[in-house]
Amino acid sequence: MIAARPLAGAPRPYRFPDFSHQRLANGLGIWLVPLADRELVSIHLLTDAGAASEDEAHAGLAALTAQLLVTGTTRLDASAFAETTERLGIEVSSESSWDSARAGFTALGSKLDDGLALLAEMLRTPRLEAGEFDRLKAERLNDILQARADPGRLADESFLREVFAVDMPYGRLSAGTPETVEPLTVEDARAFHATHYAPNVADLVIAGAIAPDNALAAAERYLGDWGGMAPEHRTFEPQARGGRRIVVVDRPGSVQSELRVGHLGIDRHDPRYFPAIVMAALLGGTFGSRLNLRLREELGYTYGARCSFDPRRAVGPFTATAAVQTEVTVDAIRELLGQLERIREARPTEVELAEVRDFLVGVFPLRFETTGGIAGAIEPLAVYGLPHDWWQTYRRNLEAVSTEDVHRVARELVRPDEALVLLTGDTSRLRDELEKAELGPVEVVAAS
Amino acid sequence: MAQVPIQRHLLENGLRVVLSRDPRAPLVAVNLWYDVGSKHEKPGKTGFAHLFEHMMFQGSANVEKGQHFGLVQAAGGTLNASTWLDRTNYFETLPGHELELALWLEADRMASLLPAMTQEKLDNQRDVVKNERRWSVDNQPYGSWDEKMQALVYPEAHPYHHSTIGSMEDLSAASLADVGEFFATYYAPNNAVLTVAGDFETDEALAMIERHFGPIPANATLPPPPDMTVDPLIGRDVRETVPDQVPLPRIYLAHRVPVFGTDAFDALDVAADILGAGRASRLYASLVREQRLAQDASVFVFPIVGGASMLALWVTARPGVSTEALEAATLAELDRLASDGPTDADLERVNNLHAAHVAGALERISERADRLSMYTCLFDEPERINTESSRWAAVDADRVRAALRDSLRADNRVTLTYVPAEAAP
Repeated sequence: MIAARPLAGAPRPYRFPDFSHQRLANGLGIWLVPLADRELVSIHLLTDAGAASEDEAHAGLAALTAQLLVTGTTRLDASAFAETTERLGIEVSSESSWDSARAGFTALGSKLDDGLALLAEMLRTPRLEAGEFDRLKAERLNDILQARADPGRLADESFLREVFAVDMPYGRLSAGTPETVEPLTVEDARAFHATHYAPNVADLVIAGAIAPDNALAAAERYLGDWGGMAPEHRTFEPQARGGRRIVVVDRPGSVQSELRVGHLGIDRHDPRYFPAIVMAALLGGTFGSRLNLRLREELGYTYGARCSFDPRRAVGPFTATAAVQTEVTVDAIRELLGQLERIREARPTEVELAEVRDFLVGVFPLRFETTGGIAGAIEPLAVYGLPHDWWQTYRRNLEAVSTEDVHRVARELVRPDEALVLLTGDTSRLRDELEKAELGPVEVVAAS
Repeated sequence: MAQVPIQRHLLENGLRVVLSRDPRAPLVAVNLWYDVGSKHEKPGKTGFAHLFEHMMFQGSANVEKGQHFGLVQAAGGTLNASTWLDRTNYFETLPGHELELALWLEADRMASLLPAMTQEKLDNQRDVVKNERRWSVDNQPYGSWDEKMQALVYPEAHPYHHSTIGSMEDLSAASLADVGEFFATYYAPNNAVLTVAGDFETDEALAMIERHFGPIPANATLPPPPDMTVDPLIGRDVRETVPDQVPLPRIYLAHRVPVFGTDAFDALDVAADILGAGRASRLYASLVREQRLAQDASVFVFPIVGGASMLALWVTARPGVSTEALEAATLAELDRLASDGPTDADLERVNNLHAAHVAGALERISERADRLSMYTCLFDEPERINTESSRWAAVDADRVRAALRDSLRADNRVTLTYVPAEAAP
């Protein structure tokens, strides 16, 4: 066999596809990404109607409203709307996150006109019926029940609640909690739709098999006379609860503990964005990252360990994650915290940095293989107002990150001393050992 | 629909090679299917094919532990592997100019895995796989469903009777000698398919493949495939109630059905989408939206080829709905489709959804490569990638009705009912 790694050939250049941006007279942003060699087209209609646009008393309303949209229009009831779209080969989705609501679909290019007409009808004249609202609300409440039985989802939700200061908007899932979802009514959804779905806060992204003139004409035809003015989302400054705490969410009988370790991170406009994502990848973003190498490939404690930032319009969490077998829980926490310490202590080697940076740079074209991937890449430009050359300069910005930059942002952004250590697991098997370990004050809470 | 280009080659050592050139993006996908899965495991060795897959990332003669991932990722690639009932696949997608790196890595472990094996590596990956099992099965609500389902649909002697993840006991018993024997038996070029899809020059790619894989000797004594013979029907109504840490009861139904690749399977595949794909599907419309008995509904067939496949579904009960009522309503929908057959609108809907899904899946060269390997490994016919939509379109109402009548019978059904543990009798 051949002993040495083969030399690479000459790389072929890759550019993020060219796109255009304009506004219709009613303020609707139009982003067109024509891709001549594709069969499919992806349409995303983004609206500033995410959870940041609801008030805390109505937490979960944005998500329910987004979901309710696909249950028909004033012309087509839920059954007829599903039938009409699906017979075109179109599965319409509509969902929301903290920072936006997104409705859309991917379909054969020949279906662009029919599909856009139906999508526009759905956004402009949704049925918003009490019966379907009640059904979706019940399903949401059931889903929260299901989530709390799932150790990973329970840990995710509990981590947010414990890491943010009490009553911070981000201290919950964007879909709300049982307490806030239960009292919501269809009138709330109608009011939310009437207030927040409007062209001045919306962007239409069309990527794929399109002729730009035709796509623009279709957008004008179906959305050009969409009226209304929506207010902007509310703003807030997330605060942390702070301080090293060990919080155990009791889940008797668990054979693994789901660990979530972290604190607040960065927002989407943080100037340290590039060094931060490189640092997070080096620490826990790839198979060969420090967390996965140590906890999985050396110790065998877990099927996988990783970490990431969740940057939003305001500061989102930084979280390290692993599901470890119950017997090694305390040692796994020590190891994980140890890796957070270690990345602060010294610069990574040039070789270690190069591996991660080259991965992020090299994998770039792979993220945009699909029309959906390309439409998705336009979203942060539309939602966060990132510069239009964001993707053209993206790889250069990654390449500029040095070992010193990684070390600097690690010291600023990774703070094990004030990390929340949250786990879902079998308290009866963990409590004594956790107390003895003196990793911080131990609190046990029941899985609600 | 655009046709996927296909070129086939056969190396002297029996390695089947499929090339599918597509220079649109500067990317290439390398995909290997080994014709070995959990169905090849011997009694007492459940889970071994999958544990072995993990060992394939622990280095080989010229590759250090961790380097397989490290080199591909540093080249800007993604990679992974998976093990299932019939097969084990290994795959990389990376910039086109790094094609030879992926071929070298795959060839090195196909040729010379064993010199790199140690007890320490095996013990480490055994722990990792046990944690994978805890994570996906033991600590997961409803996590045991597919293991239980397989055990009830297939008789004890059948190779699909046990799950791919295997039992903790058998994982504990796996030895380095097992690794050596499994490798020598199944990891040979004449037991594999290599697909390369994406941006490459055909002559160059073929030369690289010959250079790296050509010298690897065939296994002249490949064992015959396991005996997969099984009665076409289960022959009785099988029921089990499973108390679990779940808030809502869920019913799983499974039927023994003809294997992937048959006309009847295609008809059942279409039926599964009529019942379960989209908001206009029969189960969603009836059980979730109209009657409000179910929280969700999902229907699927297993693309497996050994003796018999499965058509399975699950429905989760809404609070306050009895499992009896939910089961009766679910069976009523199955019966209605089996007796009345689908409407033209049903067929138009699922055909158009399917065409869009296939086009979406095939946008990714990794998926194209995987399907080419699959059709070659299972049927020796990669061209099936281009006839999938026409095979679907050829399914008419009569075929759906006939396939459902043959298979969705009470004496061919496993009913697995998960109930909240505290409510168990």
